[in-house]
Amino acid sequence: MRKSKELAFSYGFLLPSLSLTLILGIYPIAWAMRYMFYDYKGFGKKTFIGLDNFARVMRDGEFWHSVANTFAYAGGKLALSIPLALLLAVVLNRGLRGRHILRAVFFLPTIVSTAVMAVVFFAIFNAYNGVLNQFLLKYKLIGGAVDWLGADHAMLTVVLVSVWGAVGNYMLLFLAGLQNIPADVYESASLDGANKLQQFRYVTIPMLGPVMQMIVMLAIINALKGYESIMVLTDGGPIGKTNVMFLYVYKLFFPTAGTGAASQIQEMGYGSAVSFVTAIIVGLITALYYFGSKRMNRYA
Amino acid sequence: MRLVWKAALWAFLLIAAFLTLFPILVTILGSFKTNAELTAGATILPSSWQFNNYVEAWRQAKFSTYTFNSLFVSVASTLGILLVSSMAAYVVDRMAFPGKRLYVGMQAFTMFVAIGAVVLRPQFELMIRLHLHDSLWGVVLILISAHASAFFILYSFMSGIPKDLDEAALIDGCSRGRTFLQLIVPLLTPGLGVCALFAFRGAWNEYLLPFVFTLSKPQLQTLTVGLASLKYGISAASQTHLMMAGACLSILPMLAVYLFANRSFMQMTAGSLKG
Repeated sequence: MRKSKELAFSYGFLLPSLSLTLILGIYPIAWAMRYMFYDYKGFGKKTFIGLDNFARVMRDGEFWHSVANTFAYAGGKLALSIPLALLLAVVLNRGLRGRHILRAVFFLPTIVSTAVMAVVFFAIFNAYNGVLNQFLLKYKLIGGAVDWLGADHAMLTVVLVSVWGAVGNYMLLFLAGLQNIPADVYESASLDGANKLQQFRYVTIPMLGPVMQMIVMLAIINALKGYESIMVLTDGGPIGKTNVMFLYVYKLFFPTAGTGAASQIQEMGYGSAVSFVTAIIVGLITALYYFGSKRMNRYA
Repeated sequence: MRLVWKAALWAFLLIAAFLTLFPILVTILGSFKTNAELTAGATILPSSWQFNNYVEAWRQAKFSTYTFNSLFVSVASTLGILLVSSMAAYVVDRMAFPGKRLYVGMQAFTMFVAIGAVVLRPQFELMIRLHLHDSLWGVVLILISAHASAFFILYSFMSGIPKDLDEAALIDGCSRGRTFLQLIVPLLTPGLGVCALFAFRGAWNEYLLPFVFTLSKPQLQTLTVGLASLKYGISAASQTHLMMAGACLSILPMLAVYLFANRSFMQMTAGSLKG
């Protein structure tokens, strides 16, 4: 009797969470899994076409172009933000005067929405009346207006903006990891005559290993998935130079939502197949990194 | 030699700090300039302070509406996430019932498997069927449904509260529901605080979800969406000063929370790494 009452209580308390997760979390994923085998434009006929959508993904040059863009974007973002975040964390972990203020400064960008930040950077970087160009021109630091968001520089600009928003976050995570390393390890290392650089190489890096592995993995996933700021800043343009794969998927579902690009047809079935492929790509890279870094840790 | 190192270190830190603050400074100072001065670019401080920009942004660019919408979405979804995930965390930590592992696995699944914008479409269709696509409640519900990380944070906090406490309460004749409300929730306050901050920050900064839901209903736009849409305004070039003022308006509340709670905020974020 009492047992059944307890059970009823358990399920009753779990119900809000369970139903919301099932209906708005799991069902949409199942929905996509089903439609990836259909030809479906969002209205009208739904035709089962088996694996045809996947064959089309393989032949879709624009998609693979966006995959290449994603790798360039994620690679650039990681290569800049992770070392910088680690460096700042190591420096600010010391008993430096003003370190609390500096930590707060570097963390500041992470509280700004990526969409808001993209709007601000648009005002700074745009070629015709951007703040940066006008400033550089006024002081004759450049000969003519630089098209920061044009085909030649757009990817670099987008990467820099994302680095600006991400460094503080990873710095904080690194700091948390560093604070878990006991101080006496450093003391004994310096007694043994290790200099600061050697201490970093032989104490900090190995002891930070597991935390670093997790932070880098988070960073990889985030970098591969990020597209909000790109959407606001360049909308994938110009001529698809900054079109990353999650943005490509988005446009298959909401073709008219973007502003710059020529509107295409809504492709729900095909879009589901593409998003499935992107999920596999992200999963594969994460798994590769995870097992690769595990092995490295063992030999370090 | 030491001195050279130290100088190099400080030079690096100051340059990094400058680059970090530069866009924020440009935004804050730019929000007080006239549009002409802003797009001419050459001044750092405004030659005359245009406080009027804020009035204009607030009224003309409808930032009062956007702010209200943002507040509504953020407050409602934060409260919802706290309620739903604390109840679930309590049951999962304290009770034994069939399907528990399945539930936890499901939460982990929704947290790690992301397939991007594809889920927005079925979510939107569901809201049409529930007649919630014309209001912000749809956005709120979808935000609440993504409560997996709050669940796991509260779950770890919950296991830190001794089980003897609620057993004693139960023996004294307190019902499970009352034990949860009067004993567990107060003890869980630190965990709830962390989750509230994360949930509020997430909802306040959310762009895509409110964007999709307000495509045909501009009066429901939140701050992030309304601001981004200014970029594509009819006369985009002439609105940069309003964009800057709007950006400041949208950052301000988070900035206030952040400065107010800076110390504990930093510690909490750091602490969540272990959780």
